[in-house]
Amino acid sequence: MSEKHLSTQFDAELSAISARVLEMGGLAESQVAQAMRALADFSGELAAQMLRAEERVNLMEIEIDRDLSTIIARRQPTARDLRLLIAISKTIGNLERVGDEAARIGRAAQRLVDGGVTGRLQTAVGDVAFEASLATASLRKALDAFARLDAVKALEVIKDDNRIDQEFDGLMRTLITYMMEDPRTISASIDLVFVAKAIERIGDHAKNIAEQIIYIVKGTDVRHNSLELLESVVR
Amino acid sequence: MNWLIFRIGAGLLAMLTGALLGHWLGRAVIPPPWAELAGGALGIALAVLLDTLRGYRLMAWLRGGETTQTPRGGGLWGELGYRIARSLHQREQDLARERLRLTQFLRAIEASPNGVLLLDAQDQIDWCNSAAADHFTLDPQRDHRQRIANLVRAPAFVTALQQGRFDETVTFPKPGGGATLSVLLRRYGEGMKLVLSQDITDHERQEAMRRDFVANVSHEIRSPLTVLAGFVETFASLPLSEAERARVLTLMGEQTRRMQALVSDLLTLAQLEGSPRPAADHWVALDAALARIETEARSLSQGRHRISVACPAGVQLAAASAELHSAIANLVNNAVRYTPEGGCIEVDWRLLADGAGELSVSDSGIGIASEHLPRLTERFYRVDSSRSRDSGGTGLGLAIVKHVAQRHGAELDVHSEPGKGTRFRLLFPALRVRAQPAAAE
Repeated sequence: MSEKHLSTQFDAELSAISARVLEMGGLAESQVAQAMRALADFSGELAAQMLRAEERVNLMEIEIDRDLSTIIARRQPTARDLRLLIAISKTIGNLERVGDEAARIGRAAQRLVDGGVTGRLQTAVGDVAFEASLATASLRKALDAFARLDAVKALEVIKDDNRIDQEFDGLMRTLITYMMEDPRTISASIDLVFVAKAIERIGDHAKNIAEQIIYIVKGTDVRHNSLELLESVVR
Repeated sequence: MNWLIFRIGAGLLAMLTGALLGHWLGRAVIPPPWAELAGGALGIALAVLLDTLRGYRLMAWLRGGETTQTPRGGGLWGELGYRIARSLHQREQDLARERLRLTQFLRAIEASPNGVLLLDAQDQIDWCNSAAADHFTLDPQRDHRQRIANLVRAPAFVTALQQGRFDETVTFPKPGGGATLSVLLRRYGEGMKLVLSQDITDHERQEAMRRDFVANVSHEIRSPLTVLAGFVETFASLPLSEAERARVLTLMGEQTRRMQALVSDLLTLAQLEGSPRPAADHWVALDAALARIETEARSLSQGRHRISVACPAGVQLAAASAELHSAIANLVNNAVRYTPEGGCIEVDWRLLADGAGELSVSDSGIGIASEHLPRLTERFYRVDSSRSRDSGGTGLGLAIVKHVAQRHGAELDVHSEPGKGTRFRLLFPALRVRAQPAAAE
């Protein structure tokens, strides 16, 4: 994961905490996937099962945070190690919020299952599923880039975020059209709006994680900067 | 021991020669025995110097590796050099052999369709074959020594790895989606692990199909039974007029026929699955078989379609005649059912250039949309459920055709355009076709 230290114990600690972050990332990923499957299959049971697992992500955030403080206090890291630990602290915050968004999707799916979805909205559900496939791909790429500390892949994730935003805007227009045409679809449409927004937020969190990776590798804080500057930092 | 005698002899000879030379040259100047002693010492010193030089050459060769020439010559140093060279050579050969074996092993594992991944004691990736790299979306070079759980983050897998569950398979979606993986963990050596992965997407799809089949069969049998039970109840509880009785009995007859058709199709399928492949030397005259089909089709159509069957006399197929009939009849019946009044249905036989035969059934019917084509031969797959059930189909016809085709080594393919018509073709291999009107059966 990082260059060798005199203290191999320190190395082991860093690599263990990174592994924990990625484990948490895996949990968040599978929650999003499950929530989307619950929506696609209209399965209230799947949604409920997924909501029960939310606790674990929250718990892991607290544990990793505690380990982080211990490492910083005992090792007083500098340079890249310090950057890694700070980035981890921000990454787990983002992952926890991904879990929250997944839960939001799950709850909306439950409401949609209970309320029923009319034929017209089925196509919108398909569009939402497509937006979700983009967001989950981004999240996966961001976590892979974190494991490999790959700034180039992280940059790709940041660029891909625009696509998700565009998809979200398009979806919003479609849903507004449905609601104007047939007021009976309003409550289901609003639920789908929530789902689409949650997915869009997941994409944003993936982007935030990607920015942290560039910070670890290049040492530059690239948040709120133009893509051109990002390119020049990474290359 | 030659070299030992030679060495001692050479030493003594050097000393003696030195002593003699000392005696002869130094006689005048130095009193004996000093001259002889000095000569002998000088002789030994020269012999030792020569010896050291030869040893030095050997050492230089050993240091320099293969670049310098192996020192030759007899004696101790020569033999030493020879033996060292031989054992080095031997070892190199062994090493090359082992290396070859290792490459062959790795190639064999590489050729396996299943993913094989080796983990070290820290669960880091040590080696993986390309199937595993594909399953887990890894890059074998770049992810070397990466912790596996960092990249394969599916919670089911991570838990199994952490808890060391080595006896059960873990199933989870492939990273990035699109397939399902079944993964087995095994322990070997000291804390090292073997990860075996398998893509079970097809297997899962088949399982789902099997489940659907049972559900479909019960559904298909239950619905006519429900109708029958309703009528029986009506008979038992209500007094019916003669006309009503007749109507109800007609309806009951329809439902019973539907169930009969379904059961007989199911039996045909079961037989096709259970019996051995039809013999390759049992020849059936195609024109006779098609003539029978034509009669049946005309009675089903009742003059609503133009039906033409074209087959040159003398063509024979190596087939089980009952199966062949059932396959072609199913295709023709479908054509009749799905072609509106006034349409035409053609059954045609053609001998292809490579000796294979093509039997085609085309109609000018409603056609099939392309998204349905790949699933057409699945059991109970219906393009339009209400329509096909009304027209008396069981949903098993094309499944039977496909089975029969497979058993005869034939291929079934479909071309269809919605609104224009459909063309089913059965392609029989050359081995099962013969065209000359030779003595049959």
